[in-house]
Amino acid sequence: MNIKVNNRNMVILSIMSVAITWLLNHEVGYGAVVSNGVVGVIGAILLPGPLAGAVFTSSFVGMSGLNVIPSLTWAVVGGAVVGVVIVLTKEIYVGIGGKGGTTAATSALITKAIISIFN
Amino acid sequence: MDNIAILIAGIIGSVGSYWISLYLNKGATMGAALMTLLSGLVFPNLPFIEPALGATLAVVSTTGAYAGMISKKNVPNIVEMVVIGVFVGTISILAMTTYSGVGGKLGTMAAISCLAWLGIKKVFKIGAVGKKEEEKA
Repeated sequence: MNIKVNNRNMVILSIMSVAITWLLNHEVGYGAVVSNGVVGVIGAILLPGPLAGAVFTSSFVGMSGLNVIPSLTWAVVGGAVVGVVIVLTKEIYVGIGGKGGTTAATSALITKAIISIFN
Repeated sequence: MDNIAILIAGIIGSVGSYWISLYLNKGATMGAALMTLLSGLVFPNLPFIEPALGATLAVVSTTGAYAGMISKKNVPNIVEMVVIGVFVGTISILAMTTYSGVGGKLGTMAAISCLAWLGIKKVFKIGAVGKKEEEKA
C-alpha cells in the first residue's frame, strides 16, 4: 500500500490500530494476544516498515483490559497518546526488542491517568 | 513443571520471532506479529495442556516474540536469543500479576529481558558488545 511515512499518518494509523485491536479483543472476543497478532500481521503486509512498526506498537495499547481502557472512545484517546509518544521517541533505544511495549505501557498508563481525571 | 513449560514458551516465542525476522528476512514487525498470532492460536488449543496453562504459555510466548524484535547488531545469533528467551520466561514467572491489564506490559518485560542480556554481555565482555568495549579501551 502506498502510504507516505510521516508523523501525521503515524498518529492516524496508531489511533486506528488501538481501536481495531480493542474491538477485536473486547467486542469480537478474540483475546488480547490473537487481536494483537492479527493487527500486526495485517499492518506488516500492507504498510511500509516504519508505519507497520507504529501500528504493531499501538496495537499493544489495545490489548489493555477494561480496567485500563473501558470503552472504544478511550481507546481512540489511547491511540492518539501512543501515536504522539511514538513520534516523539523515534530515535530512542532503536533495535532493542521490547521498545514498542515500553512505549505502549507508558501510553496506556498516561491514558489511564487522563481517564481518572475525567471520571 | 508449569515453570519449565513457561521457560520453554519464552524460548519458542523469542527464537521463532528472531528467526522469522532475520533468517527468513521478513522484518521485526512481521516476525513478532506472526509469532504472536501463532502463539495465540496454538498454545491455548494444545490437547495435552490445560486451557489455563495454554493461555499463560501464549502470553509468555508473545512476550518472547516482542524480545525477538531485537536487532542483529545487538544479538547476532540464535544462542543468545535462547538466553533472552530464558530471561523472558523467568521474568514472566516473577511478574505475572504485576500491572495486570496494562497494554504494553509484555513488551516492557521483553525490553527488560533484552537489556538484562545486553548488560551481562557488556559486563562480562561477551560477543560483539564485549569486543567493541575492548576496542574502545
